[in-house]
Amino acid sequence: MKDSCSSISRLLEKCFDQEATGEERLIVESHLRECAACQDALRSMEGLRGLIKSPVEEALQKEDFPWVWQNIEKRIRLQEKLSWWQSIRAWLDLSPLFKRKVWVPAVATAVVLLFVTAQIILNKPSYPDASVVEYVESETNDVMVYDLEKAKVTVIWLFEGPEEEAIPS
Amino acid sequence: MKRVAPLIILLSILFLFFTSIAFGQVQTRLRVIRASSIGSNVDPSLRDVHGELGSLFSFTSYRLLRDDSLSLSPNRPVSISAREGRIIIEMTLMRLHRSVADLKIRVAREGKDILNTQIRLSPGRTVLIGGPKVRDGVIIYALSANF
Repeated sequence: MKDSCSSISRLLEKCFDQEATGEERLIVESHLRECAACQDALRSMEGLRGLIKSPVEEALQKEDFPWVWQNIEKRIRLQEKLSWWQSIRAWLDLSPLFKRKVWVPAVATAVVLLFVTAQIILNKPSYPDASVVEYVESETNDVMVYDLEKAKVTVIWLFEGPEEEAIPS
Repeated sequence: MKRVAPLIILLSILFLFFTSIAFGQVQTRLRVIRASSIGSNVDPSLRDVHGELGSLFSFTSYRLLRDDSLSLSPNRPVSISAREGRIIIEMTLMRLHRSVADLKIRVAREGKDILNTQIRLSPGRTVLIGGPKVRDGVIIYALSANF
């Protein structure tokens, strides 16, 4: 091998791997015409590739890829099934709407709104037992309040004096 | 945040819906009745009133003068007159809860208050306000709610 062979060796490997540029390929081809050692090295590499390639190709031809995929599917099916709780947790983790940073403020907001709404709607005294008449007043006449609780009727009666009776109709 | 927005909007709609119910209107029925001891005619629609008042007073005649369905809004007085405007009843919705309405009621004769009261009206309950005299009997207001 000549002195320049060491520098050509790297380019020779690139050419062999079909990674060399056009210029590098010309340099290598020019050198190979004059250098028997590098020609031997190239033949060695080609022989080595042949040794490796042919068994791999034979193995690939023998291999049944659909059968391999069936094995993979079988293994997937054989994996232990998740419990319902683990499934829910997995779903919650997957659903971005139910991420903790989302649903915690959402639930807090809902609770506050429900509390305020309930206060508005349900804010009332215990009316069933409370009096229907909150107050009654008359500056001129007597007033009677009478509850007929069974019939759910409340009577407010104003006792006007005899002078009002004289008003013509 | 974009994902929270629809949830907040939904909750806001629910909130507004419930508050609108809480602060909504009240449908009431007001019957203006003239009761007297002259005659014995009782309007068929007033048999309930006759039945309740029969044990308290000795009126034998009940005549329906008006039958109005009124929609009361908070703090908006509604007036109904009888006897050609001489007797007026004015009703104001003060508060509305889920099943109870607070009503302020004023009865006036010739512009002068003769009765002021505040009642809590619930569905199924009737409030009878009676007593203002007319020449041949008395006026009775039968008030009930529907909400």
